[in-house]
Amino acid sequence: MITTRLILAEVKGYPRFIKLLMVPVSAGAIAVLLRFMFGLGAITNLDDLYPWGLWIAWDVVTSVPLAAGAFIIGAIVHCFRIKKLEPLVRPSIVTGFLGYFLVCVGLLIDLGQPQRAWHVFVYPNLHSPMLEVALCVMTYTGIVFLEFLSPVCEKFGLRIPLRLLRHVQMPLVVLGVAIPTLHQSGIGTFFLIAVDKLHNLWYNPILPLLFWTSAIFSGLSMVMIEAIMVHRHLRQPDETDLLAVLTRIISWFLAIYLALKVYALLFLSHGPLFDRPVLTALFLVEMGVGVVIPMVLFFRQRIRTDDRLQLWAATMVVVGLALNRFNVSMFGLIQRNQEIYYPSFLESLVTLGIISAEVILFFLVARYFPIFEHHTEAVEKCSSAFEQCEGGERAI
Amino acid sequence: MSERTDFSMDRTFLIDLTRCTGCRGCQVACKQWNQMEAEKTRFFKGEGYQNPPAMSEHTLTRMKFRDYEKHGHNEFAFYKEMCMHCIRPACASVCPVSAFVKTPEGPVVYNPKRCIGCRYCMVACPFGVPKYQWSKALPLVVKCTGCYSRVKEGLVPACAKACPSAITYGSRKDMIDEAERRLKQWPDKYVGKVYGLEEAGGTSVLYLSELPFDELGFKKLTTRPLPTFTWAALRFVPGVFVFMSGALTFISWLTQRKERLLKERSRNSQGTQREEGGL
Repeated sequence: MITTRLILAEVKGYPRFIKLLMVPVSAGAIAVLLRFMFGLGAITNLDDLYPWGLWIAWDVVTSVPLAAGAFIIGAIVHCFRIKKLEPLVRPSIVTGFLGYFLVCVGLLIDLGQPQRAWHVFVYPNLHSPMLEVALCVMTYTGIVFLEFLSPVCEKFGLRIPLRLLRHVQMPLVVLGVAIPTLHQSGIGTFFLIAVDKLHNLWYNPILPLLFWTSAIFSGLSMVMIEAIMVHRHLRQPDETDLLAVLTRIISWFLAIYLALKVYALLFLSHGPLFDRPVLTALFLVEMGVGVVIPMVLFFRQRIRTDDRLQLWAATMVVVGLALNRFNVSMFGLIQRNQEIYYPSFLESLVTLGIISAEVILFFLVARYFPIFEHHTEAVEKCSSAFEQCEGGERAI
Repeated sequence: MSERTDFSMDRTFLIDLTRCTGCRGCQVACKQWNQMEAEKTRFFKGEGYQNPPAMSEHTLTRMKFRDYEKHGHNEFAFYKEMCMHCIRPACASVCPVSAFVKTPEGPVVYNPKRCIGCRYCMVACPFGVPKYQWSKALPLVVKCTGCYSRVKEGLVPACAKACPSAITYGSRKDMIDEAERRLKQWPDKYVGKVYGLEEAGGTSVLYLSELPFDELGFKKLTTRPLPTFTWAALRFVPGVFVFMSGALTFISWLTQRKERLLKERSRNSQGTQREEGGL
């Protein structure tokens, strides 16, 4: 009884928006329950014409690149030793872990036979892009989970596991870059099979490479948005000059992406490009809002110090990325005169619930675990970090 | 996935649409042999006048009716829609758990015990053949089996058996020869093309028609086998993995070494300073 009361009292102390977000999470949970009772056809607008809908387009194809921050920041800090960015490592790992965890949840809801997910290990088909992505996403979820364990062990003062984690840190970081490279591009490979279905504006043989490049800049943009939001709403230190480093990396990757995309359109695409006005408009918005304008902004000097401009530019990148992924996995696949799919109410509730769950979980992790403290020698400073994080908790 | 290169002995349907009367005997025979549920007749928006409007989890083959104008008169055209049993099937190549198999006899069959229900086959199939049990809580894919159970025993598929006039069934080589013979014998009757000869790398269902195929609703498709499109990217996977891991390990080693050297140098200089101070 006392514990229940304590937990209730604790929950009462959460900010109002977190409490509000619990509504879509519970609504989404109910929708999932209905899905497993009455089937996919009953609660979604999916049909034989649209076997993949919102759940794949958003929960998998878009969420995975948005959670890519962890692997790039990991590579920058641990492999290239740009130690300055250390404070961004843990928040990005948390986002990565939560993102991937929820991708797995979304996939299991969408699968017809989720109880057979283990079949991918027993009957693997090496020619399937889906197998590549499934194995990589599962392994990588495990890896980010192990990386995420560090702050957890610190919180509880577990020195031995921490030391073990320190030992495997470098292999984890290396695998944690190599594996996402495979599945970020692998999601692009998915759509290479849709030869005569996906519109020429998006179909080209380097789609996997484009997916990988865009995952890098959008993953970093997410890290940026998150750092700015956390600074504004969770009273964490201002990281604007750290983010200045990111603005440079993002700007160059946007430029590389733009060059690759233009090259692909000019030399690798076949057939008419601008024959469908709606698709042309979607394409122009995607490239304008998501690539060209933010690239110009990210190349400006002012963005190194101006966190409002950073937030704007990063948001544009993320919106553009989402539109790109929807264009590839949904809009670009619609044939002329084909009925248009739109997600059903319950279907949208599930996605909304997953997004809300992500925000809530991030808030909870940030509240109870030391993810914003700056410390390189985690093991040695374990006890002091423990005190620090208690202090930090009170500050929140 | 099969590594066969010779498909000339694969069991193949030759469907001559000029000889089809639209009796739908094939559709009924398919339902009966596979014991599929009936579908309620209803009016629908969109193309054709057929019933049911499209293939579904209950209907593995159907006659598609389409009207067109010929010499100022409205005419009906029909064609039998079914799994094309591709030589290099896209569904088999994309399925993560190898639930689809191209059998040595020709039919592409689906193993419902393996399927995890990801629906990638439905996205991949250029002909829109695999259908899903949308009404079930734990759905599976449904598709024409080419009556594999009959073919294995030396029988002809149910639809081919029931068809009074249009379907010829035999080895792919014989069916291609027969199609070409008919094209040569009646050049004015046909449009001069065998659909399925090269589409999606070649299929085990071949069509002859008097109407242009796109008019009938057949898709214009690449002649390159679809699995080669994904394989063109997938074959780099091991290389990319080894390269990325190797490069990152090397870079980490390099940066760590640089840091260590810097540290040692500063320690050495500090050490000499301290010694000097001591003296």
